[in-house]
Amino acid sequence: MEKSGSVDSLGSKQSSSRQPSVDSLSSSSTTSRSDRSSQAKPPSAVSSDSVSVSDLPLSPEQLRANIRNKPVPKVIRDSHKDEPQMLTKETVQDMAKDVTYICPFIGALRGTLTVTNYRLFFRCMDRDAALVLDIPLGVLSRVEKIGAATSRGEVSYGIVCKDIRNLRFVHKQPDDTLKKSIFENLMKFAFPVSNGQPLFACEYDQVFPENGWKVYDALAEYKRQGLPNESWRISKVNDHYELCDTYPSTLVVPVTIPDEELKRVAAFRAKGRISVLSWIHPESQATITRCSQPMVGANGKCSKEDEKLLQAIMDANAQSHKLFIFDARPSVNAAANKMKGGGFESEDAYQNAELVFLDIQNLHVMRESLRKLKEVVYPNIDEAHWLSNLESTHWLEHIKAVLAGALRIADKVESGKTSVVVHCSDGWDRTPQLTSLAMLMLDAHYRTIRGFQVLLEKEWLSFGHRFQLRIGHGDKNHTDADRSPVFLQFIDCVWQMTRQFPAAFEFNEYFLITILDHLYSCLFGTFMCNSEQQRLKEELPKKTVSLWSLINSQLEEFCNPLYVNYSSHVLFPVVSMRHLELWVGYYIRWNPRMRPQEPLHQRYKELLAKRAELQKRVEELQREVANRAAASSSERAGSPTRSITPVQTFV
Amino acid sequence: MFSVKPLKPTFKSYLPPLQTDLKKSPQLTIRKLEAKLLPGEIVVNEANFVRKCIGADSSQDDLWGKLICTNFKVSFITHNSLPQQNFKYVHRLLGEHDVPLACVEQVVTVNDVKGKQKVLGSNKKLKFNPTELILYCKDLRILRFRFDQAGPESAKKVCLAIAHYSQPADPQLLFGFEYVSSRYYGSSGERVNGVDPGGGQQTPLFDRPSDWDREIKRTGASEWRVCSVNEGYTISPSLPEYFVVPASLADQDLKQYACSFTGQRIPLWCWNHPNGSALVRMSSISDPQQQRKLDQRICSAITKSHPQRCDVFKSDLDKQLPNIQEVQAALVKLRQICVIEPFEESEEKWLSSLESSRWMDYVRAFLRHAVEVVYTLEGKHTSVILLEEEDRDLSCVVAGLVQLMLDPHCRSLLGFQALVQKEWVMAGHRFLDRCNHLKRNEERRKEESPLFLLFLDCVWQLLNQYPSAFEFTETYLTVLSDSMWIPIFSTFLFNCPKQRAEHSRDFARSRSIRLGQDQALRFPAVWDWSQQFSPKDQTLFNNPLYVGKGATCVQNGAVKTFKRTKQKSYSSTLRGLPPALRNGQLSDLDTLPRRNSLVLRLRPELGQAREPCETPCERFVRERFSRPADPQGMLLPQLLPSHLSLWRLYFLRWVPEARIPHGGPATAFHKLSLLVDEIHTLQSRLRHYNTSNSTPTPTGPPPPAPSLALSPPPNPPQRPHSLSRPQPEQQQQQQQQQQQQHHGRMYFRTSSSAPAGTPSTPDYLSSSFPFSPEGNLCRRGLLGTPLSKLLSGARIWLSTETLANEAL
Repeated sequence: MEKSGSVDSLGSKQSSSRQPSVDSLSSSSTTSRSDRSSQAKPPSAVSSDSVSVSDLPLSPEQLRANIRNKPVPKVIRDSHKDEPQMLTKETVQDMAKDVTYICPFIGALRGTLTVTNYRLFFRCMDRDAALVLDIPLGVLSRVEKIGAATSRGEVSYGIVCKDIRNLRFVHKQPDDTLKKSIFENLMKFAFPVSNGQPLFACEYDQVFPENGWKVYDALAEYKRQGLPNESWRISKVNDHYELCDTYPSTLVVPVTIPDEELKRVAAFRAKGRISVLSWIHPESQATITRCSQPMVGANGKCSKEDEKLLQAIMDANAQSHKLFIFDARPSVNAAANKMKGGGFESEDAYQNAELVFLDIQNLHVMRESLRKLKEVVYPNIDEAHWLSNLESTHWLEHIKAVLAGALRIADKVESGKTSVVVHCSDGWDRTPQLTSLAMLMLDAHYRTIRGFQVLLEKEWLSFGHRFQLRIGHGDKNHTDADRSPVFLQFIDCVWQMTRQFPAAFEFNEYFLITILDHLYSCLFGTFMCNSEQQRLKEELPKKTVSLWSLINSQLEEFCNPLYVNYSSHVLFPVVSMRHLELWVGYYIRWNPRMRPQEPLHQRYKELLAKRAELQKRVEELQREVANRAAASSSERAGSPTRSITPVQTFV
Repeated sequence: MFSVKPLKPTFKSYLPPLQTDLKKSPQLTIRKLEAKLLPGEIVVNEANFVRKCIGADSSQDDLWGKLICTNFKVSFITHNSLPQQNFKYVHRLLGEHDVPLACVEQVVTVNDVKGKQKVLGSNKKLKFNPTELILYCKDLRILRFRFDQAGPESAKKVCLAIAHYSQPADPQLLFGFEYVSSRYYGSSGERVNGVDPGGGQQTPLFDRPSDWDREIKRTGASEWRVCSVNEGYTISPSLPEYFVVPASLADQDLKQYACSFTGQRIPLWCWNHPNGSALVRMSSISDPQQQRKLDQRICSAITKSHPQRCDVFKSDLDKQLPNIQEVQAALVKLRQICVIEPFEESEEKWLSSLESSRWMDYVRAFLRHAVEVVYTLEGKHTSVILLEEEDRDLSCVVAGLVQLMLDPHCRSLLGFQALVQKEWVMAGHRFLDRCNHLKRNEERRKEESPLFLLFLDCVWQLLNQYPSAFEFTETYLTVLSDSMWIPIFSTFLFNCPKQRAEHSRDFARSRSIRLGQDQALRFPAVWDWSQQFSPKDQTLFNNPLYVGKGATCVQNGAVKTFKRTKQKSYSSTLRGLPPALRNGQLSDLDTLPRRNSLVLRLRPELGQAREPCETPCERFVRERFSRPADPQGMLLPQLLPSHLSLWRLYFLRWVPEARIPHGGPATAFHKLSLLVDEIHTLQSRLRHYNTSNSTPTPTGPPPPAPSLALSPPPNPPQRPHSLSRPQPEQQQQQQQQQQQQHHGRMYFRTSSSAPAGTPSTPDYLSSSFPFSPEGNLCRRGLLGTPLSKLLSGARIWLSTETLANEAL
């Protein structure tokens, strides 16, 4: 890390470029806070031992509440609010005063901008418009100078963020032309990968009481599902990622197919992603298996081995003599893939298999849809045409298509007791969306906080959803066609389900938002790299902290108070535009005209506390009464005990 | 048919002779299907072997029974029960398949052999024998009956009777008159001297000076007085007999001013803010010569009543809000897309159709207008006059919403009922015309408008955004709107108090009913919920999340009860929100100074092309939003269109395809209710121990907690009680007692029999709870055809196995 150079700019001289009109009016404000900016201590001085539990701007009360009674490292609060809460290994790289943030909602705000190796931090000094921006640099997708420097020597640059917002700053060009500008520092630390530098996650070394890297153990998860069993075995064929470098090392395959045959199947499936088990129904033994498209090609090739594998998958389920192959793509796209060597299964070759196309558009369409959505929601909403504008983005329509596909899969498995094979083209984008949503509907375990982590680790991370490419961590090439909000779309679908079943999920909306925030933040290693093999090679579990370490160390924050463990319930959401909603708590959260929904859990916690207190008092009194009764009236032998039975508590 | 002369039915001919006991009609003995009749209710016509359509796709679930038209309702009686019927609250006035005639919007008869169909109106002729009857209801249900096996003549007669009796020509033909006179004033009536008007819980009706006095005291409006110039409705026909005016105006002035106002309506006081600013509603001044002078006098009188003598702000509603016809048109369109159009067809364009109905726009417009008034009262300490031509429609909505946002009392159940009573019923909202209870012609159609429903939708938006600020639930709001179509409540039957007085006096005179002390027949108010529901079912109204008077709130382990005091500060009781939910924008500084930087708008060269331009009101709202909400303080709704939702329970509850089995808000309601019930149980135990501790006598067996002891078996498959028999006094007392015990109780209880630790969620919970779509929404023309399978929506993706499982 280059820690030199920029730090010394901290004690920089008071900027002389005060904006006259701002000043004249703001100085008329009556309330005045002590001017701390003049004696700002370098933030690095406190950074060595000050630690934030997360990069989110937790309020002081909240932080204390989180930390109380918990072995989470203490936070040192400092009165210097111009500086961010620093993380371990976080160092200030640059700081500039008299920077103007052009807030699209409030207008121009003047304040101090700090760039560290992890974040961009802006604090407005205006007394009557206090505002803080605290943005991990990983969230930045694009930083660009806008226009030429003005006559007053001001430069303006715009920042496009991955989390549906744009920022714009204006500040005076530093007099010292040799010094690096804020802009250059931003470019350097926001896009380390493009500069051949490591991501901040590799430096961050916070120790949490929980180790999130231990959340997922493939063997343990398959054991929970009752595997291996008489029909399914755990194969070591991909132990060294030789069969398929984007698959996990642990695969579950039918016992009747030896490893040698699997290798031949791999030749027929795109990228060697053969059909392997994702989930098995505990009663019917119907399974969800996943793979990539068959390499049918223009000439209509077929593979006896692949047909045999699918036959074996069908045979492993005695309840049904059919197999459903769900191809996530529109049939036109699937057919078009034949020209590129891919394609889809012909029902002639695969006996008793039925092929269904789920009509989900590809990642380019989804990216475009999100781009339109951002235009509609940020910064301002066209109030008169909100709904039709939302409709024209097709975002909810795509959400509906994904959920509808997952619903059909879950329904076939649960009610039809039929095994299903799910694939798209490569089997790493639409396929995990579908399998993980179907599993969420079918298996209540995945609706718990830890279960959901396992689901992500398994269906998304270990099966090689290409997070690095789709998100573009630390990469300045923002136009990369490989970027796409596939995972965001999945989380949105999960949120839609939590709306329809408010008591069925152990986690709350904050949990989902936290996952998305750290999908981009580059603070944790969880979403780095493209496959299990790469993560192992990069030694991510050693070098980085897992997001689950943070979450599992403060579970309370992420719990849905309404959760009822419907262990045997299968959820069938109603996939209709009448119930799908735009997730305003995520997409529109930057708009200050919105107030977050009054949190239910606050009231719920109050009620829980009330109950605990009453229980305590009742128990005390019961004891007292029992003592007195025993002492005074021995003649009342058959005294009632009913009142002494403890009140059942359901939480 | 009607041609058989002696039988030609008219309303009048059926009215007095109660001695004709129609229940002994020989037809009925065939299958022993008897109509359950209320006091004063008589059977007009009926048809046997009628099939009620239930399922969307097939006729296999259809029910066979008898279709009856009475002077109150369309009743369908069957021995069979619904196949998927798991739960329904029991209505005391209506059976499972009944629809009040006043709820019928349109009667359509079809002959599918001849390919004919006809919309039947009152006194219309029907030239074909109907094979099918479709009732479009005002509560958005669509009921279908088939007459394949019924006698063609009796089918025709029953259809004509329904069409005729659902549109009576005169208000006194509405069933309420018959019902109230028979039940409460008849010789066999329960209570000779009329009904207890306020219902069990004493909702103030504002028909007495004392109710107004209490309201003045409660809001601290010391510079205002109750006036009685309109006693006997001598001044204004649409004002109540008692209302509140500035203390500085003498009766003599008022009488003089009255004639210059539209409808002789003297400006009405609604409410006082704790800071002294008042909310007043006023009709237009019809006399142009008087206009300026009168306007000044009224304003200066209101200014004098303000402690700081602040100026008055006038808010012209007619100019800024949609008119009643526009609101009506919006509902018609919304109904079209919600229940009439085939489900799957309307999916693709759902959002834009919703937008083009403009309903949500109007909801937002009223909420926004109310917020502006709130800003003037609270932020500018200025009194507000709501101006409307007649002051009987838009003002009701706005005045109600303003008080809901500012006054936590109005968010309690009783407070809300008082609010509706004050701003709607007593202020003379034309419920009779707006509901269009009478025979429809072009002129009357223009008067129909769902303003009250719009108001309830606005209330729902607030409830949806602040779930712990209201004592009642969305079920309450839905049931309240449904009650508009049960024509026995004083609340919704009349255009104004005077009309009620006149009609009930005339009716009593024409029937020689002795009224005793009353000057007029007294109708029950809708607030007497025991008319409709058992005490147990009334607990569906109780919001387990409520933080308010009576509800307990824990602060540092101490129990704090909120009370409105004069120097009430709307302090926060909640701690901060998780920051990701807070919009991550505003800092954690403890206080934000009020003033905002005007500054920023003065710098166009820095800003983007479109400078954000905040009105003072918007700024007021934004600053409020930066602080945590206080459910007992001021509530400001989020007004972004993205933050208002369709009131799904109301608009989609009958739509089978939209029903989420095992899901929806009801599941959260269930979970929360159990917790609150546990708290109640513990509290009552504590009380028991405390009392037994204080008495020196040795403790006997403690009575089990009331919630455990009194809770009836959950989900009782009861039929509605027939109220035709007089109930003994004792029983009623017992009922009232029970009702008190149920007040504040939860619908769902922790049952003593369930093994600890395994809370079972009832299977009947769904997004429609406590309503059920089964048989309540059968769209026309798609049944049984292969096309229907295609169009019946997203559910067709589910295999039949799943659908069958759901039935379990």
